[in-house]
Amino acid sequence: MSELELRLHELRAGLEFPPTPSFELRLERRPARRLRPLVVALAAVLVLLAGALALSPGARSAFLELFRLKGATVTRVEELPRVERIRRLDLLGELVTRAEAERRVGFRLLDLGEPDAVYVREGAIATLVYGDLDEPRLLLSEARGGIFDGFVRKTGASGTSVERVSVDGLPGLFVSGAGHFVMFRDAYGQIDDDRAFLAGTTLLWNRAELLLRLEADVTRAEAVELAESVR
Amino acid sequence: MVSRPPTEGELVERARRGDGAAFGALVRDHEEIAFRTAYLITRNAADAEDAAQAGLVKAFYALPRFRREAPLRPWLLAIVANEARNRRRGGGRRESLALRAAHELPSGDAAPSPEGRLLVAEQRTELLSALESLREDDRIVLSCRYLLDLNEAETAEVLSLRRGTVKSRTSRALERLRVRLEVEA
Repeated sequence: MSELELRLHELRAGLEFPPTPSFELRLERRPARRLRPLVVALAAVLVLLAGALALSPGARSAFLELFRLKGATVTRVEELPRVERIRRLDLLGELVTRAEAERRVGFRLLDLGEPDAVYVREGAIATLVYGDLDEPRLLLSEARGGIFDGFVRKTGASGTSVERVSVDGLPGLFVSGAGHFVMFRDAYGQIDDDRAFLAGTTLLWNRAELLLRLEADVTRAEAVELAESVR
Repeated sequence: MVSRPPTEGELVERARRGDGAAFGALVRDHEEIAFRTAYLITRNAADAEDAAQAGLVKAFYALPRFRREAPLRPWLLAIVANEARNRRRGGGRRESLALRAAHELPSGDAAPSPEGRLLVAEQRTELLSALESLREDDRIVLSCRYLLDLNEAETAEVLSLRRGTVKSRTSRALERLRVRLEVEA
């Protein structure tokens, strides 16, 4: 052991950490249900913000790129563009069986337990819906990262908080606060406003070749815990 | 007849079956190092308390995934460390580690002179200051190895790194710390 290492060891003996608090662990074995435990524990019901986006050229040019994630780019604008309300779930694509969704996207869907509905859009993006279709509690969208590379732009207004998080040791982005929205470019690189939708609290992260996006009314820690529960 | 206290393995089995009291007994010995691990990552006592609390609760529910033959401490600390990383505030207030009073020297120091005490205290303060000025990866790996006294394998599990990575990162961090001390000297 080097002299420096010895000095570090000696330093430990003299350190003064804050006093260790008394932890009161409230531990209750949660009943097994169809969803994995944390999903069941979600008390709040996701409030869906339905809307289509009519994005002005001015707003587009005001994008200030803040963060990058494989397959997704988060940008911030001064104010959210004007929105025109439409039905949110329609934007998720076509309601299909899970098997059909997996056939169309070409990969096995990850989940948080059996979903209540599965949508698929253009054979590229599958979304698992948990909860009542009129009042979903959680949405989990999945696509191959390659398809999303450069095709997703997530935009937040100035009141939106974008935080880096770690999901299973890999980087993710947690977006919360004021309303924000996601735009998907079509195959020709054009932003199609009909395909954009308002999003609630959202966590974006990569798992292998997939880009995953979880939306629910949860805290950052809960979102990360949910993300790490995805199997 | 005197009953022996349950072993860690027995407590793990009871906790896996949902016995919260058994889990409480199981983690009691690890609460302090769990909190300190979280504190060294968040550098904020309130965040560290939240992270350790949440991590320990999460560990209870994750026990079915815990390998029975594995050591419990690094597994617990890894969960707490992950919680701490997720709670680290970008612009949040960072607290500095403090040293006890200068007269509390490590054992083996036989009645040093007042000047000697001051010199040792000054060197320790410089070392701590240099350690805290390192970039985060370096600071955390050295903190795990020397301030928490975790071995390489434990540090690797806690930081979700390969053991070889811990070894090389520790070596590089020590070198950067040495350079930092020389610059400051």
